[in-house]
Amino acid sequence: MEDVRLHWVAVGLGAAALALLAAGLAARSGEVLGWGLAAIGAEYAVHFSAAGRALDEVTPVYAAAFVLVAELAFWSIEPRVAAWSEPGLIERRLVYLTATSAAAAGVAAAVLVVASASGGGGVALEAIGIAAAIGAFVLLAALVRRSLPEVDSRS
Amino acid sequence: MTRSATAKLRVYTALAGLGLIGALALGRPELAAIAAPFAVFVGVGLALARRPEVKVYSELERERQIEGRHVTAELEVVAASSVDRLELLLELPEGLEAEEPNPRLIRLLRGQRREIELPVLCAQWGAYEVGKVLWRARDAFGLLTFEGSGGERKWVKVYPRGEALQRLLRPLETQAFAGNQVTRSRGEGIEFADLRPFTPGDRIRRINWRATARRGVPWVNEAHPERNSDVVIFLDTFAEVRRRDTGTLDLGVRAAASLAAHYLEEKDRVGLVSFGGILNWLTVSSGAAQLYRIVDSLLDAEISLSYAWKDLDVIPSRTLPPRALVIALSPLLDERAIGALLDLRARGRDVAVIEISPFPFLDAGESETEQLALRLWRLRREALRTRYAALGVPIAEWREGVPLEAILEEVRAFRRHARVMRA
Repeated sequence: MEDVRLHWVAVGLGAAALALLAAGLAARSGEVLGWGLAAIGAEYAVHFSAAGRALDEVTPVYAAAFVLVAELAFWSIEPRVAAWSEPGLIERRLVYLTATSAAAAGVAAAVLVVASASGGGGVALEAIGIAAAIGAFVLLAALVRRSLPEVDSRS
Repeated sequence: MTRSATAKLRVYTALAGLGLIGALALGRPELAAIAAPFAVFVGVGLALARRPEVKVYSELERERQIEGRHVTAELEVVAASSVDRLELLLELPEGLEAEEPNPRLIRLLRGQRREIELPVLCAQWGAYEVGKVLWRARDAFGLLTFEGSGGERKWVKVYPRGEALQRLLRPLETQAFAGNQVTRSRGEGIEFADLRPFTPGDRIRRINWRATARRGVPWVNEAHPERNSDVVIFLDTFAEVRRRDTGTLDLGVRAAASLAAHYLEEKDRVGLVSFGGILNWLTVSSGAAQLYRIVDSLLDAEISLSYAWKDLDVIPSRTLPPRALVIALSPLLDERAIGALLDLRARGRDVAVIEISPFPFLDAGESETEQLALRLWRLRREALRTRYAALGVPIAEWREGVPLEAILEEVRAFRRHARVMRA
């Protein structure tokens, strides 16, 4: 019964993700696209709540597709600027997308390998995991803060 | 230069954080696996992002151009570091239009110098400041945006395009200097006027030998001398009617430029009075320099709202020389301009009015009341024209699309057939 309810929750999240992505593309809004991508991730999380404990070996493919969807979505809402005098722009972009998706699959696979190698886990391992997550979050926040808008009055 | 984070950076950071938290909460490493690429992406992207060192220079091919023609803006971009996506926008004021995409996207390698030519259409007369270039660059991962500007603003003057005129309106009286207008008086000239007996002092070359042989005493030819004249162009800048990008002032300015150019070509002296909220004038003078002074002054012509009463007394007397022909270009919307023209005529000046019709720039109105008001307004304007005609002021209504030549012919016809009463 719980599986059926979670199934419908996942379907609902999937529909919401589609709607939010469509709205984000139509409105050219990065924030709305972000909510759509978060809904896709949430759908995946609900899917695993209903599944068993075995590692999903398709996760690297899913990660690659997830990153590809995100990149394509943000590419779609970039301002349209004429680039007819720049040959090779599209080709370079496609190479970049391919490389990014492949890298995402690689990173996801590496995480799964580490996770499977750790076996049952344990409190110590979980603590390490929490510390790694917090550390990553802090690092990211610091990097984002460094990238906040600033004005260079010299130039 | 400014630096800002894109929405992509914020979203990817949030996805990474939510994925890691979800992985911890649900105990599923798969969620960490799909969140990790976003975290790595942001980390690598921010670590590799470098501030682009972009310098932009701009130059205009020319400083003066005629309305409807092109000016080329030459942009030079140089980057000390490579920029994969650099957007360039040449700031153009209203009245100038880029003929090629603006903004445009280019790629610059480290140390590369690119030159870009951008043709700009001078759609509307006026004086414009052009040259500032805005640029925007993104890092390779699209996480950060850098914006800056460069280039130096320079003035470009777009002169109103003129109309070809075959014949001009000639003043009733001429001046003392040589010119192209045949006068009614008699003296040295080319056009034959009359014969008269020889008097001491006459030049031998003027003797008419046939008449002399017939009469037995010397007779000389008399001719009509060619003299120049003074013309003052009176431009009404109190009010105008506009529709989209054109209006009565545009027609007036173009006509003023055409008339000034043609009269100066005929060696006449031309002056300008811009009578409106802002009073501007140029005393009569001749030559090419005067043409540039007049068109430069016309570029400054604009409607400036003012409720202050103005009459002819504010205009310096030397701006309106005696015996000058005053050609008024006015939509006859403001009482002050109407009154000034009537005052000019009352002072015995030679005045001709070209009424720039505001009707092509108006909407007829849909309701019966609006249409009735428009009809009443038309009747009032016709009554005003009749008043001018009764005073001996030739007045012709000029609508957009009608050649100026036709309107001048209408004024000439009035002057031929009307009896001019002088004060």
